[in-house]
Amino acid sequence: MSAAANAKTELQSPGLPGSASKPARKWFLAALLIALLLFPLTNLVSGSMNYVLFMMLYIFMYIAMASSWNIIGGYTGYTSLGHNVFFAIGAYFSGVMLVYFKISPYLTAPLAGLLAMGVGLLVGVISLRTRGPAFIISTVAMILLVKITFDNWDYIGGSNGLSLPIPDLDVTISKFPPYYAMLLLAVGAVYLSYRIRHSKFGLGLRAISQDETKAEVAGINTNYYKILAFAISALFVGMAGSIWGYYLTYLRPNIFLTVLMAAQLVLMTLLGGKGTVAGPVVGAVVFILANEFFVSQLGFTELNIVATGVLMIVVLLFFPEGIVGTLKERGKLPQFLDWE
Amino acid sequence: MAFLEIQDLTKSFGGIQAVDHCTFSVEQGSITALIGPNGAGKTTVFNLITGLIKPDSGKVLFEGREITAKKPNQITRAGISRTFQISRDLGEMTVLENLVVQSPTRGFLDLFQGSILNHEYEKAMELLDFVGITRLAHEKAKKLSYGQKKLMEFAAVLMTEPKLVMLDEPAGGVNPALLEDIVARIELLNSRGLTFLIVEHNMDVVMNLCSPVVVMAYGKVIAQGKPQEIQANPIVLEAYLGEG
Repeated sequence: MSAAANAKTELQSPGLPGSASKPARKWFLAALLIALLLFPLTNLVSGSMNYVLFMMLYIFMYIAMASSWNIIGGYTGYTSLGHNVFFAIGAYFSGVMLVYFKISPYLTAPLAGLLAMGVGLLVGVISLRTRGPAFIISTVAMILLVKITFDNWDYIGGSNGLSLPIPDLDVTISKFPPYYAMLLLAVGAVYLSYRIRHSKFGLGLRAISQDETKAEVAGINTNYYKILAFAISALFVGMAGSIWGYYLTYLRPNIFLTVLMAAQLVLMTLLGGKGTVAGPVVGAVVFILANEFFVSQLGFTELNIVATGVLMIVVLLFFPEGIVGTLKERGKLPQFLDWE
Repeated sequence: MAFLEIQDLTKSFGGIQAVDHCTFSVEQGSITALIGPNGAGKTTVFNLITGLIKPDSGKVLFEGREITAKKPNQITRAGISRTFQISRDLGEMTVLENLVVQSPTRGFLDLFQGSILNHEYEKAMELLDFVGITRLAHEKAKKLSYGQKKLMEFAAVLMTEPKLVMLDEPAGGVNPALLEDIVARIELLNSRGLTFLIVEHNMDVVMNLCSPVVVMAYGKVIAQGKPQEIQANPIVLEAYLGEG
């Protein structure tokens, strides 16, 4: 209720740029959402859309995670290379709840998110004492610590991993639950990111990213803001992990806890434009589709990684602030993508 | 009891004694100047008062309460606002946002209000009007000239409803016409009861605007008093001009 009231306040502020209603954006987003909600039904007709559904839920997942990462990495300017820790925590929490207590991950996903958030809070209190490269390294250390712990924790399967029961669904609709769950997470994460971008909290985070001393002297409790941002950025990543783990039906530390996976979140956000609302979304779509295209053309060789890397370099050469960031700076961002 | 009391403040960086048993006070309603040759420790004193660095020993009291161990944001919220010698702006944010970011929030839920509330918008525009840069409200701060940034910073510190404003070289690099404007604004605000502590090298500004004047050299306070007394003080002249 208060969220709606606040949004209204902001719209009414006289003379604020971007506060005028944007019909193109509104219609685009509404149409897009309806299309995405209805899209799986095509599988009932043709039955051959499972691959497309998989690609889409995979993209939704990364949209949710990149948008969340953007809260700490983009708005706040603290590059975390350890966000897959929250992903793993979510996956394992829901996995354990399923295997040992027979509770569906779709029910435990919110709890998994909150658990990830709690861990984020604890880790943040310690690691956010550092900044710059030291912070990045502390987040990488977090991956290694959690990986060693999980590898040696027999209850959750150790390094052999944990097998989950396979969901018993007809093949035409088997992708429906994860599809809608990931869609919900993507929408939720983007909305959260949007709300933060337009809140006092977001203003403070952006101040921190530009000059932390100045922000502190301006009266912002920078430690509190940073820790809160870090914790909030873990929420949807934990939930995504919970759903993804169930989708894979197999959890193993060395699938979830690699630096490469954390780096992907960073790369797609940079590609789309860090610190913008639409950037992580555009980045996730472009990055995953490009990577998939290269895999299909070049196979699962090292070459597909090289090709994705070259694409990153070329795009960032012409769009140094990311696709959305640079277009916005040049005033060429189409209205339907201007989610600021 | 003075408004702001600096008691025996000491800070060294490695072997350099930047501030050495510095003691002075700022009376409520005054425009106190803090002057001294380069390297005297003035900016360090500013940083110590605002909590950006912690003293080795000594105390800072504001309205009778000790603020020495407090964090910068708590000191700002207690009523002390400052500008920086080399103005620090949040370049990617608009001028308006640079002002509004200073306004206080209370409690957790306040954080998730809209970034610029109506009353903050009005107040910020009023202050921009006051310093004469209303037309720049929606520009990114990085696009402003040096002088415009000084004005923006000046307006921004007023957003917090401070009791004490600390200005680090408000006249530095500012053209004479703009300087007159700034001085006039300071005098106006002071006549409404706002207290100032100003570090400044421009002696015309110091002697005409400020009283009392505190003089520092080598981290110590070497003299304080009315501008006329300071101008005639042989110790001060020696500190500035060297031994004749």
